[in-house]
Amino acid sequence: MGTTLLSVDSITVRRENTTILKDMSLKVESGEVTGVLGRNGAGKSSLAYALMGLPDYIPVKGSITFLGKDITRWSITDRAKAGLTLAWQLPARYEGISIRDYLRTGTKGCSERDLEESMDFIQMNTTFLDRAIDKSLSGGERKRIELASIYLMKPRLAILDEPDSGVDLLALREVLGLLRLLADQGSGVMVITHREDVAAGCDRSYLMCDGRIVLEGSAGAVKRYFMSQCRPCDGCEVGEVMRRG
Amino acid sequence: MAKISEEFQEILKIAASTPGYDHFDHKKGAYALINANKVVDYHEIEGVHIEAYETDDGVKALIDIEEGVQLVEPVHLCFGDVRKNGRQVIESHITVGRGAKVDFLAHCVFPHAEKFLHAMEGTVEVGEGANVSYKELHYHGPESQMEVRPVTKVKVNKGGRYVNDFTLVEGKVGSLDIDIDIDAVGEGSRVELTSKVYGKADDSVKIQDVVKLSGKNSSALIKTRTVLKDHSVGSFMGMIDGAAPGAKGHVDCTEVVQGHAIADASPVVRASHPEAEVTHEAAIGRIADDKIAGLMAKGLTSDEAIDMIVSGLLK
Repeated sequence: MGTTLLSVDSITVRRENTTILKDMSLKVESGEVTGVLGRNGAGKSSLAYALMGLPDYIPVKGSITFLGKDITRWSITDRAKAGLTLAWQLPARYEGISIRDYLRTGTKGCSERDLEESMDFIQMNTTFLDRAIDKSLSGGERKRIELASIYLMKPRLAILDEPDSGVDLLALREVLGLLRLLADQGSGVMVITHREDVAAGCDRSYLMCDGRIVLEGSAGAVKRYFMSQCRPCDGCEVGEVMRRG
Repeated sequence: MAKISEEFQEILKIAASTPGYDHFDHKKGAYALINANKVVDYHEIEGVHIEAYETDDGVKALIDIEEGVQLVEPVHLCFGDVRKNGRQVIESHITVGRGAKVDFLAHCVFPHAEKFLHAMEGTVEVGEGANVSYKELHYHGPESQMEVRPVTKVKVNKGGRYVNDFTLVEGKVGSLDIDIDIDAVGEGSRVELTSKVYGKADDSVKIQDVVKLSGKNSSALIKTRTVLKDHSVGSFMGMIDGAAPGAKGHVDCTEVVQGHAIADASPVVRASHPEAEVTHEAAIGRIADDKIAGLMAKGLTSDEAIDMIVSGLLK
């Protein structure tokens, strides 16, 4: 077991008079891939935004600790500089910014060889490096570029929000490969997904429903519960977080 | 090249610092260098004829590219003035012969201008099958109260292509009023207009691009990228009139507004022929939060992220 990188303690997030995360707690360890599984609308992306520090998602209650420091009120920039980053579910597009310049953002001393290696890792031709991150890229290509960025940044903790969405099966293997590679290098990885096959590749998982953590345990146990019990509903009647596996 | 005065050397030095200049070779290419109302120097090459006359407050230039000429080096036009106050009125008439290919690179450099009028009244005729690009880069001083009034009328004949690229992102704009009126009269003729402007302080930016597609299967793209900050104001009107069968056009306008700036955009699409197709897209407002947050998650501050996004947009 690695050291605890991220500790979320009983956070509640409200947005537009609605509580979207409710008394939520979780931990992410170094060298480990932690899954957050849940159906659409469970609050998974809201959790990612709260952890990354988006202004509309600052907790009204509870705390977020990263590398031993309380970062609950830190800006996105400060969190990123401390080694926490997020690969967005729908990465933004930037007209006129080349993939090369985008990948160099957030990386220190990134060489041309590093860039080529990252493109090779996501199985995209290096000629893409000169292309702009604009609407000429498909959603899948944009997701791959996001993975290349994480690959180069080597953050202490990477949160990947639905890294599998919009990518083909081949790319899915790359996604899972990246998660494991980062963890093997000592980073912590939190992967947010609604796909049980992605969750199965994690070391440990949490199940989210209606803005709450309802289950934590081994990836296999959480996956089994998710597949057998989770159906569209009005929210779980679970009072305490269940622990399995 | 004739001996260049010290003041015009300053203008050339600034021009040389702008993107694209490094592709120009004054020894090989044709050029005309204009300072205030003086023709500092001009150079003709085979197939390129330049006549330039000094007027009371500017210069009248006639440029003729012969039929079939294929130029490798751009024709460099450099208009400048180092005075703080004054006016420069340029009248230019460009004729490009059938099947010719030419790129114009125009620099308009006014490094010390405070109260200054730079007006351009130009015509361009693109011959059948000719391929013409006109790239215009402006540099104004940081205290500029320049008035820039480019008025251009263009006619594009059968199979001809005209590309116009206007960039004013360095220094302070002052007051800019672009008026381009193009008639793509020839069958299969093509037009592309791009304007990139960065308005600051109390700058005023007005862009009016009008293209009439009167040639069968002619096409046009109007694209503007304007960033306005502080108390600057901007207004864009881009109109394409599909007036012939098979004519296709698209107006694409993005205006980013920061601070107290105000912008309006009017992409106008008209199909005056039932077999024409003209579309538009316009985005106006501040930079989307997800774009800024995406770069902040890589360690940039909010201001750094905005600068990077704006630089990309105006690139």
